[in-house]
Amino acid sequence: MEGKPVKIVVYHCKNLRLFKDGEQKVFNRKWPGLSLVSIPCSGKVEAHHLLKTLAGGAQGVLILACAESACQYLEGSARSRKRVDYAGQWLQKVGISPERLDFVRVPPMDRVALENLLREFTSKIQSLEVIPAIAKA
Amino acid sequence: MIVATLKEIDEIRKMIDRYDSVLVVGCDSCVAECAAGGSRETMLLTAALKLSYLKDHKNPTITEAVLDRQCVDDFIDQIADQAPEHDAILSLGCGAGVQALARVYRDKPIIPALNTLFIGETVSRGVWQENCLGCGNCKLGYFGAVCPVTRCSKKLMNGPCGGSKGGRCEVNPEIACGWDMIIRRLDALGELDRLTEYVPPCDWSTSHSGGPRKVIREDQQP
Repeated sequence: MEGKPVKIVVYHCKNLRLFKDGEQKVFNRKWPGLSLVSIPCSGKVEAHHLLKTLAGGAQGVLILACAESACQYLEGSARSRKRVDYAGQWLQKVGISPERLDFVRVPPMDRVALENLLREFTSKIQSLEVIPAIAKA
Repeated sequence: MIVATLKEIDEIRKMIDRYDSVLVVGCDSCVAECAAGGSRETMLLTAALKLSYLKDHKNPTITEAVLDRQCVDDFIDQIADQAPEHDAILSLGCGAGVQALARVYRDKPIIPALNTLFIGETVSRGVWQENCLGCGNCKLGYFGAVCPVTRCSKKLMNGPCGGSKGGRCEVNPEIACGWDMIIRRLDALGELDRLTEYVPPCDWSTSHSGGPRKVIREDQQP
């Protein structure tokens, strides 16, 4: 990864099977600043999770979902898309670029696609102004 | 249930900018059902406010709490420890919740984060419909459980106006004609004869026009 590392959180549906046991930690080491969070379904992520993640210091949040037709919870992937859009509207209201959130449907087990996505997303986030961190009391 | 919507964040900011610490209090009853003021929305608004202040390089203390019901003292007690530590309370309750908090926390500014709209029902996911005006004189039994006071744009009590087309109201075609619904429902129930009885105009003395209403039940009192 080029440039200064930025804190990015990736919520990924566990049904994408991107990592086998223990692989996630190894992958994380390659990407400083990156936090990978495995979730039961992308539909589990709601707007308040995304805003809280950003308010907690992340500079960008990426949601990786299954194809709509492949969603094991039938409508999780579709609902997730709407929630990310809704969270984006909130970001716009508070004057923060909605580009800090991205929702991508990726093929299962495709680590190459994931790395390409991360490179692209990271460089986009690096080009944005940093959200100041909450000052410690 | 009471249906409400969240105010715009700019309006909320304008009201709370003067405080250094704000307790954001949600209500997990009616306004949670209409996705305006429950736990999720409380977390969402708190995070949005924090981001909004961070962007402006400000850092007020914003804490969140959610009550099961904001309009009952026994539940309001749940924030008894947190309330004194904050300069103001931002309420995601309906108008009744906001005023109940103000009655309990007399020395604390209580700011509403919602616009309280109406008494209604969830007709489908993400759609809430007004269907009760709280007139205080319910006549739903005459009308097949479809309220002409709320569902008929002209509040007609003794039959349709004649202006509806294809079951849609002439006031706004997006509104279903209340009387079309009444007649179809009574017809399906085989109770159209109920409409032969004259129903006098609504007695508005039991509604809002007489000032705030009150119900007193001695058997429920301590």
